[in-house]
Amino acid sequence: MKRALLPLVLLLGACVQTTGGEVVSFTAKASGDPAVVTGAPLTFTTPSGFDVTLTRARLAVGAVYLNQQNPQNYSLETSCIQEGIYSGEVRGSVLIDALSPTAVDFPVAGNGTTAPTRAAELWLTGGDVFADTDSTVVLDVAGTATGAMGSFPFEGQFTISSNRVIPPRNPALPGSNPLCRQRIVSPIAFDTALTQGAMVTLLVDPRAWFAAVDFSGLTKVSDVPLLYRFTDDQSSSAQPDKALFNALRSAVGPYRFELTP
Amino acid sequence: MLLARAAFAAGDVVPPEVVSRVEASVPTDAPPPTQDHVLLEFTVTAEGKATDVLVVESAGRAWDQASIDALLKWQFKPATHEGIAVDARTRLSFNMPAALMPKPEPVPDAGPLEPLLESDGGAAFVTPVLPAGPSITVGGAPDAGHPVHDFSTTVLGRGQPRSRGASDFNIEVGALQAVPRKSAADFLKLAPGILLTNEGGEGHPDRIFLRGFDAREGQDLELTVDGVPINDSGNLHGNGYSDMNFIIPELVENLRVLEGPLDPRQGNYAVAGSADYQLGLPERGIHVRGSYGSFDTMRLVGLWGPSGESSRTFGGVQLFRTSGFGQNREAQNAKLAAQYEGALSDTTSFRVGAMGYAATYKSAGVLRADDVANGTVGFYDSVDSRQGGDSLRAQVHFDLHGHSGNFAHDQTLFFLFRSSRMLENFTGFLRDVQLAQQNPHEQRGDLFDRNTSTFTAGARGSARWRTRLFERNQDLEIGYFGRFDVVRGVQTRLLAGSNIPYLRDLDLDSKLADIGLFADLNFSPAWWLTVRGGVRGEFLTYDVLDLCAQKEVRRPSATNPPGDESCLSQRDLGQFRDPTERNTTSGGAFMPRASVLVGPFAGITLTGGLGTGIRSIDPQFITENLKTPFASIFAWEGGATWQHHGDAWEANVRAVVFGTRVDKDLVFSAQDGRGLIGGATSRFGALAAARLRTDFLDVSGNVTWVQSKFDDTGLLVPYVPDFVARLDAGAFHDLPWLKPLGAPIRGRAGLGVTYVGRRALPFGQRSDVIFVVDLSAELAWKQFSLGLSATNLFDTQYRQVELNYASDFHTSGSLPSLVPARHFAAGAPRAFLLTIGVHFGGES
Repeated sequence: MKRALLPLVLLLGACVQTTGGEVVSFTAKASGDPAVVTGAPLTFTTPSGFDVTLTRARLAVGAVYLNQQNPQNYSLETSCIQEGIYSGEVRGSVLIDALSPTAVDFPVAGNGTTAPTRAAELWLTGGDVFADTDSTVVLDVAGTATGAMGSFPFEGQFTISSNRVIPPRNPALPGSNPLCRQRIVSPIAFDTALTQGAMVTLLVDPRAWFAAVDFSGLTKVSDVPLLYRFTDDQSSSAQPDKALFNALRSAVGPYRFELTP
Repeated sequence: MLLARAAFAAGDVVPPEVVSRVEASVPTDAPPPTQDHVLLEFTVTAEGKATDVLVVESAGRAWDQASIDALLKWQFKPATHEGIAVDARTRLSFNMPAALMPKPEPVPDAGPLEPLLESDGGAAFVTPVLPAGPSITVGGAPDAGHPVHDFSTTVLGRGQPRSRGASDFNIEVGALQAVPRKSAADFLKLAPGILLTNEGGEGHPDRIFLRGFDAREGQDLELTVDGVPINDSGNLHGNGYSDMNFIIPELVENLRVLEGPLDPRQGNYAVAGSADYQLGLPERGIHVRGSYGSFDTMRLVGLWGPSGESSRTFGGVQLFRTSGFGQNREAQNAKLAAQYEGALSDTTSFRVGAMGYAATYKSAGVLRADDVANGTVGFYDSVDSRQGGDSLRAQVHFDLHGHSGNFAHDQTLFFLFRSSRMLENFTGFLRDVQLAQQNPHEQRGDLFDRNTSTFTAGARGSARWRTRLFERNQDLEIGYFGRFDVVRGVQTRLLAGSNIPYLRDLDLDSKLADIGLFADLNFSPAWWLTVRGGVRGEFLTYDVLDLCAQKEVRRPSATNPPGDESCLSQRDLGQFRDPTERNTTSGGAFMPRASVLVGPFAGITLTGGLGTGIRSIDPQFITENLKTPFASIFAWEGGATWQHHGDAWEANVRAVVFGTRVDKDLVFSAQDGRGLIGGATSRFGALAAARLRTDFLDVSGNVTWVQSKFDDTGLLVPYVPDFVARLDAGAFHDLPWLKPLGAPIRGRAGLGVTYVGRRALPFGQRSDVIFVVDLSAELAWKQFSLGLSATNLFDTQYRQVELNYASDFHTSGSLPSLVPARHFAAGAPRAFLLTIGVHFGGES
């Protein structure tokens, strides 16, 4: 009897063989940092000594991609898609209130594989990452910063459109720094492996956006009421404008991913 | 016709024998015979039937016809060569009744004649003189008053190489011709473990899976037609790419499939094995067949085989067109084939032939399963209507066979021109990397435009020497193979929505040589023991001129930037360089191969074999300085074969276990649309096959199970099926209740069933099962025939190709899909084809 069953056992053994890995689907959510309290302004002090009361902090995320490996550095300057490095994707946009700890769902489920994930990408776009223009406000902030130089009520809305084109430093390299790269925050450390039915949560800490901002350099747009505004243009040389935009695109600090199996 | 007396070797060739005979009836109201006999020349087929009857000496029309009518009812035991039934050309005299002759001359009846037999062993003329049994008298007892003619038999065809064991399938198509087949490649499914898929359309070659190998379009399978190579060396789609669409299916008479590298005659690409198509037209006369069917498919075939010539003398033309079963699947092609086989002398025969093929086709390509599921595209739609291709083949070949005493030789010369263009888009918009030197661009589209033109000249030949040892025939064969290819291959990518090339991926001008030498010994010390094997040496050279060797500059000159051009003439900082670069390399391999056959005992022969083989590397990888110009395989097998040759039925059953290991396997890369070199893989599997033939039925079935794994990880090799089963059946008989105008209506039916288990896909996925049934029926009366075939009879909506990889066809929004997703190419839905045929002259 055992001998008769042996071929069957071998056959069944063959049936459970695999090519390795699995295709999985997962849910994706996003929220502000758990430290914030719903409905209340977020108050914090920046490393440069500004006491900030943040009353509005919204981030528009177009998509999330997960990477099996960190993108190759040399191509970071040129390529927005690096074929073969992706382990997961959530192809849907969500507007995140970074002042709310309540997670909001991405409108679509994520797809991916069980291949190890090393990093994540945030695509700050309203849709087409290659578009020449994109009116989507990816960052919308408001609040008041108080420091030794005084109080600075501020607001800012950033888009990543033709206003963010970076001319190539070397005319022989016209393809360097394409606009699509401005819209991708990468690589955000995320060492994990997706599982079927898991939940991936993007946590946004708005405090990190302002860590290097010198609010005293903001452009005043109104005396009554007093209001300062971040300039939404790459050509602006003002420190606050550059610091906030750089922080928005920083892979270290404002963004954190968590996996709940 | 050769009538030399036998020098040796009755053991390998057995002439046909009469099994049953029918006396001819004296025709009514006929004038007296004009002479004392009717001498007929005809072919005894491998099925034991008389066909292609030629009246050599006439006694008058009515008497001739009476003799022919009687002869067609005779049953023969066919001639055999090494136990395999072969066609044989024979003469037979019907002697007239003496009473009807004006002046009967008493001549003693002939007694049994001394059998005369000549064979050169491997592939040959066979000229036996049969016993005088067939000499009969019309209408009564044997008459003693007329001359007796020799019953001589000439087999012009080249014999089959000796069997290498249970994995050596010498497949006579025979009645299985009735099974619906779209192309000559479909005949491969008569051999166990073969799955054919096609993501490229009617003109695209089939992708071949064989015993756990993904042989792609022939890269791992040495394919030949009557010894002339089909594999394209240096083709950009894959080295060894094989387009078998140039073969007219009706001209496929035999197919030898040897699974595994076990015969020293097998050369480059014989990794999973080899297959040799042998063309012939058993039916003489002129055949015209016109077909029309589903999807506006039209097919016109004209075939002719001159009476009195062998089945290897034929001509054929096919014209074909179809609108296809879905979007972007129209195709048209034209094929021609002509060959003449004749004798230069009693000891030398020759064949000279030419073949031509031209095709153009559109291809639906692959679809994303999620796009179909959400209704973005239909199951039979296409997402890039520019996919398709063209194909061209021109071939001339000359073949010479001679023998003298215990020495025989073969020589084949061939000249080929091949051209193929293939446009494929597997990934949509993913592969267009922005380089710093280029002007900013979006993804411009991944449509590959691959063009390869090849001129090939080559020859193969062998010499066999036979001697007697241990009172048995022992053979030694020395042979060679050489082919020289001049190949130009260009691959560009076309801007989405246009035919404008924006990038040149490859531009290679290659000169390739492949020279092989082998020695093969057939040693049989006892009737129950035979050892066959030898060694083959293969020497491969590459001379590859890369016309686009410089594609990127990391540190371009600020004053003289390279811009968007693909093939650059500068290095870092604007230093000049020629855009071309030549790479040459060579390598050799020695491949021992051996088989042992023990038996037969009660019809059962046990076999075992092992051998090594090679597959040469693509020229484009030579440019990447890969030194070793081939991948190596080691294969072993053990099996058993049971054969029965009875008067009423014949059967052949075999079972095989096998294993293989490849050091550099090809693994399909959808991103590249071709196979790329991967790691080492091993296979273990088993198969069973059987064929049963009676006087009205021909059934062939096989099942194969195999497991293919990567050596380093133990993971399954993707895409290859681990379970394949196939059933082919042909039935043929005169309809008993209808005989209009005294002529019977012959009925013929064919059935083909394919079952393919769930194939392993990347990321732990499994494909769907494939189960397809094809059916055909034909009625033939006198010169006319009417047939109807249905492929995919149950109209199963199935995916013949399934893949798992990342693509973005812009079908689901502007955000790209970058993770693996299921893709498939649809199998054809149910299709009917009505065929009307007319047959003039000759016999069928």
